[in-house]
Amino acid sequence: MNRLIEIITSDDDAVRNQSLESVCENASLDVLLEHIKALDSFRRQEPNLYRRVRALFFLAAIYRYHLPHQLDPTQTGLIPYDGYEHLLSRRFSEAIDTFLESQNSHGPQDGLASSLAAAYHQLGFQTLADQVRHSVRSVRGNQWMFRLGHPDDHPLRIRPELLAADPAGVMPLLCETTAVRMDFSHSAWSDIFFLGMDFPEGARVLNVSIDLGVRGRDESPKPPIETYFRVIDRPVIRLVSVDLGAATEISTIADMFDFARDYLGLLKAAVIASGVVAPGLEGCQQPIGDLLERLVGPGMGIELVSKINDIPKGSRLAVSTNLLGSLISILMRATGQVTTLTGALSENDRRLVAARAILGEWIGGSGGGWQDSGGVWPGIKLICGTVAGSADPEFGISRGRLMPVHHVLGQDEVSHEVRQRLEDSLVLIHGGMAQNVGPILEMVTEHYLLRSQREWVGRQQAMKILDDVVDALKAGDIRRVGELTTENFEGPLQTIIPWATNRFTDRLIELCRKRYGKEFWGFWMLGGMAGGGMGFIFDPNIKLEAQRWLGEAAVSLKREMQTSLPFAMDPVVYDFSINDKGSFAKLYEGADAMLPDRYFALVLPDLLRTPTRDLSMQTRSDLQRIAQRCHTDRGMATTAAMLLDSVLPRGTEDSSRDASLGELLQSTGFDREQHEQVRADLRAGRIGLSQNRLSANTHIDDVQADDVTDVRGGVPKKYVDLGKAAIRNDEIAVVTLAAGVGSRWTQGAGVCKALHPFNRFGGRHRSFLEVHLAKNRWTASQFGGRIPHVFTTSYMTDAAIRDFVERNDRFGFDDSLHLSSGRSVGLRMIPMVRDLRFLWEETSQQMLDEQQQKVRESLRAALIHWAQSAGEANDYTDNLPEQCVHPVGHWYEIPNLLRGGVLSKLLAQQSNLKYLLLHNIDTLGASVDPGLLGLHIDSNRMLSFEVIGRRLEDRGGGLARVNGQPRLVEGLAMPSERDEFSLTFYNSNTNWITIDSLLATFGLDRSDLNDNEKVDKAVRRLALRMPTYITLKDVKKRWGHAQEDVFPVAQFEKLWGDMTALPEVASGFFVTSLRRGQQLKSQAQLDPWKRDGSANYIDSICRW
Amino acid sequence: MQVRKAVITAAAPNQHTIPLQRLVDRQGHDKTALQLIVEETLTAGVEEICVVICPGDQRSYEQAAGDHLGSLKFVEQAQPRGYADAIYRARKFTGDEPFLHLVGDHLYLSRTDVACARQLVKIATEFQCSVSAVQSTRENKLPYFGIVSGDHVPRHDDLYEVQRVIEKPTPTLAEQELVTPGLRAGHYLGFFGMHVLTADVMNAIEQVLVSNPLSRPTLSDAAALLPGRQRYLAYRVQGTRYNIGVQYGLLIAQLAIGLSGHDRDQILTELVELLAVRSEASAAV
Repeated sequence: MNRLIEIITSDDDAVRNQSLESVCENASLDVLLEHIKALDSFRRQEPNLYRRVRALFFLAAIYRYHLPHQLDPTQTGLIPYDGYEHLLSRRFSEAIDTFLESQNSHGPQDGLASSLAAAYHQLGFQTLADQVRHSVRSVRGNQWMFRLGHPDDHPLRIRPELLAADPAGVMPLLCETTAVRMDFSHSAWSDIFFLGMDFPEGARVLNVSIDLGVRGRDESPKPPIETYFRVIDRPVIRLVSVDLGAATEISTIADMFDFARDYLGLLKAAVIASGVVAPGLEGCQQPIGDLLERLVGPGMGIELVSKINDIPKGSRLAVSTNLLGSLISILMRATGQVTTLTGALSENDRRLVAARAILGEWIGGSGGGWQDSGGVWPGIKLICGTVAGSADPEFGISRGRLMPVHHVLGQDEVSHEVRQRLEDSLVLIHGGMAQNVGPILEMVTEHYLLRSQREWVGRQQAMKILDDVVDALKAGDIRRVGELTTENFEGPLQTIIPWATNRFTDRLIELCRKRYGKEFWGFWMLGGMAGGGMGFIFDPNIKLEAQRWLGEAAVSLKREMQTSLPFAMDPVVYDFSINDKGSFAKLYEGADAMLPDRYFALVLPDLLRTPTRDLSMQTRSDLQRIAQRCHTDRGMATTAAMLLDSVLPRGTEDSSRDASLGELLQSTGFDREQHEQVRADLRAGRIGLSQNRLSANTHIDDVQADDVTDVRGGVPKKYVDLGKAAIRNDEIAVVTLAAGVGSRWTQGAGVCKALHPFNRFGGRHRSFLEVHLAKNRWTASQFGGRIPHVFTTSYMTDAAIRDFVERNDRFGFDDSLHLSSGRSVGLRMIPMVRDLRFLWEETSQQMLDEQQQKVRESLRAALIHWAQSAGEANDYTDNLPEQCVHPVGHWYEIPNLLRGGVLSKLLAQQSNLKYLLLHNIDTLGASVDPGLLGLHIDSNRMLSFEVIGRRLEDRGGGLARVNGQPRLVEGLAMPSERDEFSLTFYNSNTNWITIDSLLATFGLDRSDLNDNEKVDKAVRRLALRMPTYITLKDVKKRWGHAQEDVFPVAQFEKLWGDMTALPEVASGFFVTSLRRGQQLKSQAQLDPWKRDGSANYIDSICRW
Repeated sequence: MQVRKAVITAAAPNQHTIPLQRLVDRQGHDKTALQLIVEETLTAGVEEICVVICPGDQRSYEQAAGDHLGSLKFVEQAQPRGYADAIYRARKFTGDEPFLHLVGDHLYLSRTDVACARQLVKIATEFQCSVSAVQSTRENKLPYFGIVSGDHVPRHDDLYEVQRVIEKPTPTLAEQELVTPGLRAGHYLGFFGMHVLTADVMNAIEQVLVSNPLSRPTLSDAAALLPGRQRYLAYRVQGTRYNIGVQYGLLIAQLAIGLSGHDRDQILTELVELLAVRSEASAAV
């Protein structure tokens, strides 16, 4: 039997827990292909889901990490477009078959390997997700909801207690309060469903329910989640989120399944998961009144209100899952599915609520771990995965059950005094970062399935630490708890996922250690990654002082780092206490049945606009009662003020925003005339996404062998010597493009990508900018000479980069380090609906998982509505000024060197300077390589572009023969997407420029550089010849408490690669190694980048 | 065990006139619902019947009983304290004997030559224990019935050892606790409105009445205690029940009875004509 299959199928832990590396490390190509053949055939036949999944991840890892190293470095090949299409449409098996067929015909090659790795990887996750979904659906108590297909068959009824109006007609109000959960030891992400179901023994969490208050705002901690339910006298389901300021009345069943139409998706998911509008009713066209007639009675409806006391998003305390749990619990109480109407829940009911919360997360297209609904349980509990027994639906499919078992620790195990001690030592903060932990959870799953040696040992250590934390807690030794959680964070957690931490968190810990020394007992990571909710444990004697200090320190550190890391808000400090009740409900009747003041502040403006005669009896009664409340002393002070505030006009925040946007535009030399021209062209349809494309009769062919110089096998010595001499002779400078904010890197968060400390090098996190300077330092040390380094900036990155550089003493580069300020800026516009549709319908898009795709489609409908109502091609001004303007493409950054005087300065400092190396901020491998420089010098061309063999993720154009002429073509300009897949090489955008030829192309020479007028004129003239592309970029709008919306906005750009299309520009193309040309576009790439040795390679060409 | 007595409950405050409704039986004779229920009871070999009624209803019931008045005794439920209490009112009447119990708002139609009540009594006599008639009930009807679950009695296809009884369970609870092997997905064993109960059931009823003085316990609450006290079976009767207390219930019951009897052709003809006229009227609209 194949050794890998033996590992997968073995019942012996010692064999099953062996890593893939133990077999594949340094294996030859033939041996790897043998393994691949065996594994692929195994995964096609194997009925056991988890074995199949492990085989899939093994295959993905072989193709990603092992096979490419064994290929001939000069091999090239194409990726079949059909396979790519299958992949986008989630037909993973078909994609694999297509890629394998190509591999069988043409032999293995790097591009195909990347495609197969992606296909196996995604098929693995799809298989796992399907299994969790299947398990959630097959949990007893959930199945009926998928059978219900018509409202007439609805089997639930509202409990009679909730229908018993008092003599004044006031309906009873059910209120549920729920805690949030905090993870004691950090579970090493063992609460991921896949892990719990495959390795139940290792899935253990110590989890505590807590009440919260924001320090300085709230008087004392209280259960942060409150949900309300009542019967109303209109046949609708009214959903209200007090915190998000959103309310809606659902009148058709279909609307309940439209998740992204408003901010109430979570409430809708709860209504569905609770069975009130059961998931089986999706697609049913009936009005919701039909359903409510059965459920409540003719003409009646229900109202569901949520309130989370403004706890910011990203707290890592599972606020949203526990809110979902609370909503589900209150709805299940109201419909009698939970046995008790009021008070605490029974264990059986809590399990039922947790199972429905899992279902709700799936329905809403989000995801959480199985410990996340811990706030529904009281106090401190040990939650453990459980081996599936013969009566479980998972039996025979997975080793573990979907639902874990909760053991609530009694006072005899952790006394009241110990709980108090914990409260006296722990400071909880929200660091202000709200990042998507999805990629981290995928990494954890992948690492677990591959059982890589270090990570597997890390997992064992984390399990041991959990035991020690439980022991320390039972012994009441909080200091020890702090030591252990720190050990966990700095040891196993970062071994398993290095990205669990970041520079901000590390600096905060350093500051605590420096200030408090031994009185700082430890750090406690919460949730998927650090930076959001975090715990710091101090000696109780200094806790209050430390709490105050930490709040200030975190805010000032955030100010320092906010341009380099994606913060969603200012850090806040929490007060907390342990909640010993879990989810708890009360029924209010008569005068007590009043919703919170903020509810009325939200609904009042609409009600006041409605004539009284049109208000229902119940609403009139509500208004009378809130009016009465205003007449009490306390009500006068708070309620009346809040209500008045809700109906009277506020301050003019928008007008001040407009003013500062105007100032920004003026200061950055915004060209209004050009902007209006772009707008007119956009509206008239002269430019747009479809017009970006070259005409359909353009011939796009792959380049021929003599169009490129392949240097992957090495560069002849004479060129290396030529390059070395040029470096020594101060003939080269480096220009790094750093104007962008990395839309894909932080999903439009608007931070400066150049400054993002993305990986640890030389003992600490380093930014892209530092890496490029370190390479420069290393090159100069190797070959001598002085290499000036220019970073081009834009209005968005200029101040941040200048500040960063100065704070770090210019990294020792003194006057060799230059910043070239961006001189052009555009104002973003509301996109044309035509372009939105083109992007979503005409270009290939990755289909998402079934439920997420539904949410996405609902969101797209909402965005189209937004574009129409905001006015297509109107200025986008409804955001921070920095988020409303955009850089206009990297083509302008080279002319900016001329216009801003930086090139002139460089030449003045270093008269030998003849060449520039230009590259993107995220092309980490780009360095002043003497061989390539020598080749460029020898070619006498103006431009030498570096291209690399295409991998699946390398989308966005490439090197092509366009009507017979070799040039770079942007992905946006490809007449058809299929064309891109006929191109072997991808543009890394790293290029060598001969300065004098460049100047000549602009019609200038060195002496003209001081003549601003002439330079400006020359730039404008050439700019007119460059194509203008319309692109849609995601931009985040932040609001409320760390809430974020993402909008696609239209902007235009001109790109440097199009210079190769100019007939007078002599351009050459070097085929370089992947390591040199690889770009880091999204943070999800970091993990494979580190694992495949790329990070080590970068380290080897840096000097820190 | 011989079942000589029967208890019919007809004291629910909003439904006490239902047994007085008039229908046409399978032979085409004009009868009240009470008469039909009493006849069903008598076919099972019962000799004495006790009807539990609301105070003041006796005269109407006597008139509605027709020829069977002689077999009937009336007991009043002074306070509307629920279903279990209504049965308990007949305790003196039943004494130490087992009894057949039917609800006053249901009519029954057997699919065989043997009446439903007779089928049930036969099983109770054979197994010498309490037996409830049940039928497979789809989950959308759960809000209306008591539901039982249990395993098959070996070698008896339609007989179950009752393990759990829950009144009007939610589908969630039913799926977790009340799934009975052999039924289609989403189907449960729902009460048929007909039971043979041993004398000990009155003790169980007394227990629930004492322990829940403020609520209105149902028979299900008492029946839930039975599996722990005695053998308790559920029998899938070969027949159908018709709840004449719900909207159109009387009409549906009448149609079912009519279509299974003497005047079938006449009713069908009338129905077809009705449909034809209706479609003309629709077309005119």
